[in-house]
Amino acid sequence: MKRVVFLLFILTTGIKVKGQTNYSASLIDKALLPYASAVIRNQDVYTEVKDGYTFYRIKRAITVLNNNGDNIAHIVVWYNKSNVIKDIKGSVYDEFGKLIKKFSEKNFEDENAANDFSLFEDSRVKHYIPSIGAYPYTIEYEYELKSKQTLNIRDWDPNPQYGLAVEKSSYTFACRPDFSIRYKEINMPAKVSIGSSKDGLKTYTWQVSNLKAIRSEPYSPIAETYLSAVKIVPKDFVYSGISGLFSNWEELGKWNYDKLLANRQALPPQTIQQVQSLTAGITDVKLKAKKLYEYMQGKTSYISIQVGIGGYQPFLASDVDRLNYGDCKALVNYTQALFKAAGIDSWYCVVYGGSDKISMLHDFASMGQGNHVILCLPIKNDTTFLECTSQKIPFGFLGDFTDDRTVLACTPNGGKLLHTPKYTATQNIQSRKAEFTITPDGELSGNMTTIYKGTQYENHEVLVGQSLTEQVKTLQRMYANISNLTVKKFEFKQDKKEMPVATEAINLNAYDFASKDNNKLYFALNPLNRQRSIKDVRNRQNPVYINRGYTDEDEITYTLPAGYRPDMAPLNVNLKNPFGSFKATTVISDNKLIYKRRIEIIDGTYNKESYADLVDFYQAVADADSYNVMLVKN
Amino acid sequence: MNKLLLNVLIFISFSTICKAQDSTFGDYTIEEMQQKSYPADTSAHAFVLKEFGSTRLDASDNGIKIYFKYHVKIKILDSKAFDKGTVAILYYDSDNTHNEITDIRGQTTYTDDNGGIHVAELDKSKIFRTTENKYWKQVKFALPNIRSGCIIEYSYTKVIDNFYMFPDWQFQDDIPKVYSEYRVNIPAFWVYNVMIRGPLKLTSSKSEVEHDCFTSRGAKCDCSKLTYTMANIPALIEEDYMTAPKNFLSAIYFNLEYWTNPYTGVKNKVTKEWKDIDYNLKHAEYFGSQIKKDLLKNYIAPVIAGKTSDMEKAVAVYSYIQKNIKWNNFTSVSSEGVRKALDTHAGNVGDINIALVAALNSAGIKTEAVLLSTRNNGIVNKLYPVENDFNYVIAKANIGTETYLLDATDPMLPFGMLPLKCLNDQGRVMSLDKPSYWIDLVATQKKALTSNLDLTLQPNGKLKGTFTTYSNGYEAYEKRKTIKTFNSVDEYVENLDEKLGKVKILKSEILNLDSLSLPLGEIYDVEIDVFGSLNHDRFSFNPVLFDRVIANPFKLAERTYPVDWGMPSSKRYILKMHLPAGYVIESAPQAVSIGLPNKGGQFITDFAGEGDNFVYSNVIQFNKSLYSPEEYLYLKELYNKIIASEKADIVFSKKK
Repeated sequence: MKRVVFLLFILTTGIKVKGQTNYSASLIDKALLPYASAVIRNQDVYTEVKDGYTFYRIKRAITVLNNNGDNIAHIVVWYNKSNVIKDIKGSVYDEFGKLIKKFSEKNFEDENAANDFSLFEDSRVKHYIPSIGAYPYTIEYEYELKSKQTLNIRDWDPNPQYGLAVEKSSYTFACRPDFSIRYKEINMPAKVSIGSSKDGLKTYTWQVSNLKAIRSEPYSPIAETYLSAVKIVPKDFVYSGISGLFSNWEELGKWNYDKLLANRQALPPQTIQQVQSLTAGITDVKLKAKKLYEYMQGKTSYISIQVGIGGYQPFLASDVDRLNYGDCKALVNYTQALFKAAGIDSWYCVVYGGSDKISMLHDFASMGQGNHVILCLPIKNDTTFLECTSQKIPFGFLGDFTDDRTVLACTPNGGKLLHTPKYTATQNIQSRKAEFTITPDGELSGNMTTIYKGTQYENHEVLVGQSLTEQVKTLQRMYANISNLTVKKFEFKQDKKEMPVATEAINLNAYDFASKDNNKLYFALNPLNRQRSIKDVRNRQNPVYINRGYTDEDEITYTLPAGYRPDMAPLNVNLKNPFGSFKATTVISDNKLIYKRRIEIIDGTYNKESYADLVDFYQAVADADSYNVMLVKN
Repeated sequence: MNKLLLNVLIFISFSTICKAQDSTFGDYTIEEMQQKSYPADTSAHAFVLKEFGSTRLDASDNGIKIYFKYHVKIKILDSKAFDKGTVAILYYDSDNTHNEITDIRGQTTYTDDNGGIHVAELDKSKIFRTTENKYWKQVKFALPNIRSGCIIEYSYTKVIDNFYMFPDWQFQDDIPKVYSEYRVNIPAFWVYNVMIRGPLKLTSSKSEVEHDCFTSRGAKCDCSKLTYTMANIPALIEEDYMTAPKNFLSAIYFNLEYWTNPYTGVKNKVTKEWKDIDYNLKHAEYFGSQIKKDLLKNYIAPVIAGKTSDMEKAVAVYSYIQKNIKWNNFTSVSSEGVRKALDTHAGNVGDINIALVAALNSAGIKTEAVLLSTRNNGIVNKLYPVENDFNYVIAKANIGTETYLLDATDPMLPFGMLPLKCLNDQGRVMSLDKPSYWIDLVATQKKALTSNLDLTLQPNGKLKGTFTTYSNGYEAYEKRKTIKTFNSVDEYVENLDEKLGKVKILKSEILNLDSLSLPLGEIYDVEIDVFGSLNHDRFSFNPVLFDRVIANPFKLAERTYPVDWGMPSSKRYILKMHLPAGYVIESAPQAVSIGLPNKGGQFITDFAGEGDNFVYSNVIQFNKSLYSPEEYLYLKELYNKIIASEKADIVFSKKK
């Protein structure tokens, strides 16, 4: 029964592709137009695995409604030595679906697509901008891509970007009937339909239709949690001539270890000797590791260089030892080699690095889920993770790049999923105390000390290593709300422990901080740490997601000029919500005005209705933060 | 075999020349190794110890080539300069001109933890070559063993197979240099114009003649050997609101003036005078031919059908080209064919604006092309003509007694307005029937915003009324571009409403969105929640409800380069408030009126209260496009005054 349905489907699309499709823009369902800059009229992605190759055939018809859809119509195809493009061709139609022109591969520009920061990366792109000088227009194009591997099958994301609606989109994966795969459906409205093709291949097909355009909503969860996607991974695969099989993280980790990582850690005898002399007399494993980690930091620097088994295999440790540079894989492997020379076990961990916390999917093992590697020290009850690409980061501290997420540790006994430490709202602290004096002329002067902890430790990291002239310029930008800021003394200290602390002390002054008007003096109560209001979102679709929590505390004591008294109702704001709290108060005693402010934002996912509360919360905070003090003459 | 031999020969000739001044590769002194900072600039994270360049023009089996040899030695003081150890050399390599980078050599001299000095050589297998696109290739390598205090050194030879592309030399860079030297060796068959730009003085320049230095297939001539040196060169530190750093960099440029074919003796004038360029462009297939032949007659006839005045025709043609050729983000001063651009609906700057020139002429409007250099590309030199200085072309339409400068690459630009990137000193009008001439590229319009708020305080404590803004000139252009990033006006207003927080938009109207030459109007019925409720006796109210200035954009104690905004600007804000009966104004902000010297600008506020109504107004005006470094402190002070004034509240209270 299923088979019949599927055949019918093939037939109907078959007819359509033969050129009778009417791409008139007026045929688009009105319900798909809100927030859409372009509409996918039809998309067919066909993927076939055969003889160690993955073949993709992509056909796409997109109607561009206005200039904002041009970037969606800009056809961009990535390729490299092992992913070869075959046959790009297409046509452009006008508003009424009338054919205007055809294009083919010769119209495409060819460019290097490597990241600027990479020393080397085999990544190229062919791209073309179809255009007819009027809107709407429709482009229809197709191409084939032949990938010399079967480890990474591209995900199918039918609606991957904002402003794009979808009329119809389908995905078919085909392989020999005895070829076993695993697949994962994420937010798919309909389940897979399994059938077979006329040449005897087993097919898995998914379809979606009438997806509305997605609007960018602030404080949304990571896109993977609410967009539709299908992920497929074969059980047996070939990659760069190496074959393997896996059906879970344990087996994938084992393959990684055996085929990509093992036997790449030999070090020259003098380095081994150096390791031994560095760690001589230290018995504690963690202290030993710390010593070697700091040695590695002092010796190496990070340079991105994507070579070696499709970018998956690290350079030899002996190369890093000689060149003193490497990418994340090479530096992790090198650190691991140093540890090994001191008899310390450690694990190479694949992670998705970035401020957004993206974890390995617990129930679906596949290779392509990471973009970075870190090192794990599996000390009993004290598992420690190390970032190996920074010369400055404290031992055992991950910052906001790889914190609080699931990573794959590749151990000699197979893969293990581990979770990196979370830095909580009460640990990510910025705490400031200032003692300022204001003169009758409006000049501000005084001292200010700020402590940065947890993920806020790195807030002002850029100041480290700058000369004083550079530091002053940087501080003038950081404290931009104090105009005419002069820094008389500046000190920045870092205590590089696992939960590191940075302390910044500034002696400053600023003329015209308070302004005179009609015998009054005005000044901004909070010139140091101001929150802006956030954008409201009507008809919000997504829950509220706060990626990382923090606490900021500010306390400023102003000594007011003689002869003046504040003419103001005392500020007293106290807000409490599940996602955070805010308290701001002023107290006046004698000639002193004491301002205290505390904001705590708690990470987590909250229902979409609470977004209105979040907007109100930040508005109230922004109002309190923009409070101006008015002083009048006694 | 031949090639190999040639390379060896070149190498030998180079080493003999270079011996004179260029230090040998890899030498260092203990003092250099131990140096912890650069005394002349203690904020430097690295500095160039020595830098040498030499360029030689010579014959090879496949024509005349330029051999440019570069050699630099850099002291790395701390980790903020480690990126100097990753070197990227971008070079031109297209179907017509093949350049290459050869003889790359690099090394790092460093002190190890025990104080021993070591040298690590660049591994040849770690040099990566990539093709960026059809015009450019790149060589990239990372020097090994970079650490604080090390000295990196590298050299390479660039072989250029086009003697028009004589390498320039940049004395100044983003790090200071102790010494920089450039030597050129030019056979008398070739004559180049040499131009030195920038504020720094050469330490020395020397000119010698080397006899019979060039011999090729019987041809023979002397060479001029020129040596330019500069010592103790400060780093160029970029500042906000400045134009291209290139305009201020000390550098030396070479442009081919004429050359004599060594084998035939035929003299080729390249750029002697403007009239030569005028002649070349007039007859060039990629320029004059596209304009002269009225290629677009059939395209333009329907566009101007029914239009009577020249102005109407010009606007229609401009709008037609704007809409029908999409810019592909490449700049250029030539066209691959105006018909092709219109047929494919895509093209570079040259394709679009030369098509515009052709189309306007076809419509009977006398129009010339204007070559210019964009802001990022730097100001063109005026000493002698250099075609390569230009990177952009626009149209100059002459209608009646007026002239209009036009750029059709952006469909949102109104007729007669140039984008900021084109407002760069002067451009050259290339008239096809008379000599070319310079024209000023200045803003013809201001960037001006007028906002009016007319609000009534309601019994519920909310302010209700209208918020009207009119955007003119560049302000309108930018606003229109913002609105067009939304799929519809409704989506724009919805987003604005969402962003404005306490301001609710009840009704909206946008005027002249598509009438690009008229002011853009936005009229909103609004309700603003300022006070929460009216349950207080006394209200403090800041009259600047939108875009209050709280941070001074000017922070430096002294300024080196001019502040260049490209155009004058003004912001006017008027608030009319109607209070319910029974309120009196207790205090109001002091009126302020401050001007910049030489009528450069002003800030004025005013307050007038009468009964239950008051009016507050606020004007910020900058009358010039460019302010000199001497005027910087006045600008900074003006902003201080704006910030101070905009902090003050209006206080009103219930009548007792």
